[in-house]
Amino acid sequence: MSEKKLHEDQKYIDGLLKNNSFIIQAIYDKFVPKVINYIKQNSGDGDKAQDVIQDTLITIYNQASENKLQLTCPFDAYFFILCKRKWLNELKKNSNKEVTINEEVLSKDDEAQELAFETAVFGEKQVLFTEMFQKLGTACKDLLTATFKIKSMEEVAKSLGVTYAYARKKKSLCIGKLTELVQKSPKFNQLNN
Amino acid sequence: MEDQNYILFESYLSKELPQDEIIAFESRLKNESDFNQAFNTYKELASFLEHKFENEAASTAFQNNLKTISKTHFEKQKPAKKVGHFKLWKYAVAASIALLIGIFTFNDSPNPTFSDYNNYEAISLTVRGGQDELLKAAEDAFNNKNFITAEIIFGQLLAKDNSNKELQLYRGIALLEIDKFDEADSLFSRLSNTQSVYKSKAIWYSALSKLKQKDFAACLEILKTIPKYAEDYKEAQNLINKLE
Repeated sequence: MSEKKLHEDQKYIDGLLKNNSFIIQAIYDKFVPKVINYIKQNSGDGDKAQDVIQDTLITIYNQASENKLQLTCPFDAYFFILCKRKWLNELKKNSNKEVTINEEVLSKDDEAQELAFETAVFGEKQVLFTEMFQKLGTACKDLLTATFKIKSMEEVAKSLGVTYAYARKKKSLCIGKLTELVQKSPKFNQLNN
Repeated sequence: MEDQNYILFESYLSKELPQDEIIAFESRLKNESDFNQAFNTYKELASFLEHKFENEAASTAFQNNLKTISKTHFEKQKPAKKVGHFKLWKYAVAASIALLIGIFTFNDSPNPTFSDYNNYEAISLTVRGGQDELLKAAEDAFNNKNFITAEIIFGQLLAKDNSNKELQLYRGIALLEIDKFDEADSLFSRLSNTQSVYKSKAIWYSALSKLKQKDFAACLEILKTIPKYAEDYKEAQNLINKLE
């Protein structure tokens, strides 16, 4: 991936990451109308389109800030495929029917397709991880929250009234517990294959 | 997977293993697929958690800003309501009502309102280094008039460094914007009792807070304490004239 040339549309990714209102506005002006049309033509409406677009942009933002998203294709294609995929999944969820992604778009821009796929998997993993984190016991949730918010393990131990060694050990066991929950979920195996 | 392995993952990721153990660890990664899979999931989860909590404030600020832009965009899309057959006489009635309102308002000479004074210049906080991301998020939220978000982030920043008077002032303004008057007033009054460059600004804003609460007498009283050298002195005199 690193050898591929960065597309000039990376500016949209960087703008989202910096919470730049002008860039967000530009995305809505330039790329969103096409998505709204598509959703409206495929059993959706304006409100549904608004949600799909918002969720998609949040996923892109999250991936960019955690994984340093490098755009190697036009933003337009990448964003459209992502929104479309999300909308089709939404339809599938509500109708219990198998919905497949249009082949025409699949072959149109492989690079965009590949990148959009990575982002979509990232987004679905985030949802799954958040869900599993909620399943942890309160002690683990509190410890992990403190660990990643405070950063210094010494301070975490102090704030929880335990020793440094104990806090450290507990941290690895809690992430371990989360690892097990995630690995056991069928959704995770689907996403990883 | 055994507990011991998770402890090992953590030590490896935080680079605390001695060289010989690193070699042994990496060879297990190559040869034991369960071990490898568990490690990769562990690593992914650690990165997820780190990001989730570290960027909470910036992420909330982004989402709020996005929602505002999205809402405006989609409201523009909705077709305007049809005017229908609006007969001429209705225009006449509307015009007379407008005229009456105009006369009443003119005679009444309305009191000045808070919204005449809340045009803030864009603030810039990110030159100091350090907690850059959070500061940037606060700055963006404030400049985009997302005062709910701004107030939350200022609160978080002040939890780390409660002595920063500039942040205290901005937090006060954000509180004032979202009508949390008690908190705003007590912040401004604390600030106006300190010897800092923000002293007279704080007095000015505590007057504006009274104005927003329509307590004109209290507003006047505070305005009169703004010293001549203060940046807002002229504006304050103006407001005094309108109120008296």
